[in-house]
Amino acid sequence: MADPPDTVEKDASASRIHVRRAVLLWVVITVLGIVFALFVPSRVFPFQASSDATRITATFIAFTVLGAAVAAVVWAVAAYTLWAFRSGSGGPPESDGPSVRRHIRAEAAWITVSSILTLVAIVWGLAALSSVSSAASSDALIVNVTGQQWVWSYSYPDEHVNSPDLVLPVGREVVFRVTSKDVVHSFWIPSFGIKVDANPAEVTQTRTTPTVPGLYEVRCAELCGLYHSYMESQVKVLTRSGFEAWVKANGGKVEP
Amino acid sequence: MRTKLLVGALVTVVVGAAVVVAAILVLRAGAINQPLLTAQVRGTAQTSQGVLPHAFLNLDTWPDSMAGPHGPSGGPHPGWVTYGPSMNLSVPAHSLVTITVHQYDSGEALLNPFFAKVRGTVGDRATLNGKPYSEINYQHTAHTFTARGIPSATQPSLFINVPLPPTADDAPAVVKVNGTMYPKPNVIVFSFVTGDPGRYVFNCEFPCGIGYQGFAGPMSTLGYMAGTLQVAG
Repeated sequence: MADPPDTVEKDASASRIHVRRAVLLWVVITVLGIVFALFVPSRVFPFQASSDATRITATFIAFTVLGAAVAAVVWAVAAYTLWAFRSGSGGPPESDGPSVRRHIRAEAAWITVSSILTLVAIVWGLAALSSVSSAASSDALIVNVTGQQWVWSYSYPDEHVNSPDLVLPVGREVVFRVTSKDVVHSFWIPSFGIKVDANPAEVTQTRTTPTVPGLYEVRCAELCGLYHSYMESQVKVLTRSGFEAWVKANGGKVEP
Repeated sequence: MRTKLLVGALVTVVVGAAVVVAAILVLRAGAINQPLLTAQVRGTAQTSQGVLPHAFLNLDTWPDSMAGPHGPSGGPHPGWVTYGPSMNLSVPAHSLVTITVHQYDSGEALLNPFFAKVRGTVGDRATLNGKPYSEINYQHTAHTFTARGIPSATQPSLFINVPLPPTADDAPAVVKVNGTMYPKPNVIVFSFVTGDPGRYVFNCEFPCGIGYQGFAGPMSTLGYMAGTLQVAG
């Protein structure tokens, strides 16, 4: 026996109210998520002193903004459902409500939005991979990095300088060729957004461009023995003229 | 029921306290159980930073533990190489510190030639039996004195590396210490200027230990080839 027309209209009206409330909650949570993405990561992350660190932070913010809308759908529906359809004093209903089938608009929207978000992630990832795997510029500064229990040491083959200090010029791409003389270490400069394993008898490579002069931390990120916690030093980013002066002061030569 | 709960809670607290005490005891056992070796200030010296107090410290490097800080029986590992007389060093801040090392051990090749150069001392130099040097053959090195620490807002960066030349492999054992004969030692002297107070570590970078790459045993145990260097205010 079919429901009377006024009951059907009441159900439809109630359903619209539930959807509007859930959508409103979704918008509020999304806005909160976006505000979080825009203001929190840049304060929590290490100071961004290289092109990679800036890109990593931008990627994190962009994906958090996109993810905020998706996560908010789940949280809003879950939260609203728990609140609006709680059983109360009458106890739980004897049966489930009618299932939703063949809602073309909902299915189309879901598939379209999911596809667009996935496509954005793929294109973004491929672009980032391309920038990482592309050849370094001909002007790049080569620095050989050697990890050893429990010290980092550096050599500049083109400048003929060996140093316990890592000193770099601002605005010039740097290629780090990293190896180890004993166990596995990990060469990590948090403010540059780079980290690469230092393996015995292997040379791993990473590169970046320092963008802000200053003093930043260099750490070992792989537990490597007794004084692992002391395997920490500093990288000094100088102006180009300052770097050239440092090279000369350490007996090296500067290419004209 | 209530009694069982109380007993259970009490047992939990007692076991928890026992675990904490055991952890503290284990950590204390791992710390260097050696006296603080304090550099003695004897006069002043002219440096690039002006006239500073001049402090002196004597160290030894032994091919075993029979003559070092581990007792006449050599302690738990008589065959391990060791620094001496202590691995707890203290030097004054804003001073010129001169360290004299009596080096009794023979040597082989460093893993990393980087540590064959003298770095961080006055003039990046040391003296070997009175003769100055800035670098030695990395394939013929006994040990290194390598000190550094975590640079931070509260303490300045410090990096000192002095390679210690070896005695000859066939050098006759002519010095008797604690009943054990050793060759005539090489005497290495170097100086460095300290800054603000800070806590640093020092160790040997020559793989003179045991196990993989020679970095286990005395190289990985505080009090043998690894210790602390305190710059005291």
